[in-house]
Amino acid sequence: MEDAQLAAMLVRRCVAGDAAAWEEIAQRYHRRIYNICYRFVGSADDAQDLTQEVFIKMYRTLKSYDLERGAFMTWVTTITRNLLVDHFRKSKQDRMTESLDTAASEHEDGMPLSERIPDKAQPPDAQVQSREVGQTVHGALQKLSPELREAVILRDLQDMDYKEIATVLKVPEGTVKSRINRGRAELARLLQRTYKQVM
Amino acid sequence: MSGQPKNGMQCAEFDALLSDALDGNLSGQKFDNFQSHSRSCAVCGPLMAEAEAGRRYLKSLEPVEAPPHLLENILVATSGIDSFRLASAARAGGQISSVGDTWFDRLQEWAGTLVSPVIAVARQPRFAMSFGMAFFSLSISLSLAGVKLSNVRHADLRPSAIKRTYYETSGRVVKYYENIRFVYEIESRVREFKRATTPAEPAPQDQDKGKSPKNNSSEHQEQNQQRNYSQGENQPMLASSPNDPPVVMSMDTNRRYS
Repeated sequence: MEDAQLAAMLVRRCVAGDAAAWEEIAQRYHRRIYNICYRFVGSADDAQDLTQEVFIKMYRTLKSYDLERGAFMTWVTTITRNLLVDHFRKSKQDRMTESLDTAASEHEDGMPLSERIPDKAQPPDAQVQSREVGQTVHGALQKLSPELREAVILRDLQDMDYKEIATVLKVPEGTVKSRINRGRAELARLLQRTYKQVM
Repeated sequence: MSGQPKNGMQCAEFDALLSDALDGNLSGQKFDNFQSHSRSCAVCGPLMAEAEAGRRYLKSLEPVEAPPHLLENILVATSGIDSFRLASAARAGGQISSVGDTWFDRLQEWAGTLVSPVIAVARQPRFAMSFGMAFFSLSISLSLAGVKLSNVRHADLRPSAIKRTYYETSGRVVKYYENIRFVYEIESRVREFKRATTPAEPAPQDQDKGKSPKNNSSEHQEQNQQRNYSQGENQPMLASSPNDPPVVMSMDTNRRYS
């Protein structure tokens, strides 16, 4: 069964009062939503709170989801994005002027997926190096403006297509592409600057 | 980015095609034009290289694992039912509110559905902290006001008792106000009496009057104030001597964050 069909079936069952269907929805999507939140806000605690808020909102508004109007994942991502915008307005995180080093998160220190399931084919040096790169890239991502950040997260980390991103961000597809280009270029510039400073 | 077409392509068109080119979705004549534009344009060439590098960096990020209790927290915060119970219900092949439940179980479940989202929110550290602070300030206010919860009896909550307490309290307040008024009246009389008996002293401004007649003008006071806000204490008042040539003062007061 395709993802969209399965999601639609789960939503129908859930609206009909099947609690097991709701658990399956939460199980299927919580990691993805958590990743979007985490990469956007940069902190594991905030990402956890926001993921819970997303599911609470989803649970309350599940009846309003219309299958005809788009994929379930797009709807969920739209809810997530709206809450991220609210959170950003509250915290004004873009005004923080931390250095890239201090912006490295607790996740990259402690529990990235690669470290939880160690890859034996990769030598330890390469693991450390990849972890360090991950920390730096995650830190640089937090320095991007929220518009560029959300665009590159949805495209390059969540593999959403341009049309879906345009629906979520409520901007034309051309704007989405332009933001993605600018976001990627800005990130590369930030990282080049960081590496130059290190060297 | 210039609007001039280079190799049959404008920079704006290049920008629009850049994402597709990096995704590998560009082919034919369009791809050739794109490539030759990126080679010849001094702005678009580096932009493409940077965008490609940025994309590579982002793709190198691995998905992070969600915290272990996140799913349970979500389920408790939403449906109010923990995962274990759901699993057993799913194994039984039915929905959660099965027929075999007693009325008390159903009532408990219904109350849990209503209350658990509130409890889940309240269990978050920031809310717990706020509740703690509210309780703390309330208890301090009560103790300062002399209210002891142990002294509150059932009788105190009867309408007649509340009414009596109200009248007693308002009577006390009126009495206190009258007393204060009496004290103030006495004080003002004493002050008047003192003023009438002691001889008048010369006012300090009268002494200075002969030396600087403009000292009392409000304009001068304003000037003094302005100096305090705009200048340092060690800087001379150059503006006060109108015959002097104008002096350009470079003061770096505008600080920028960037």
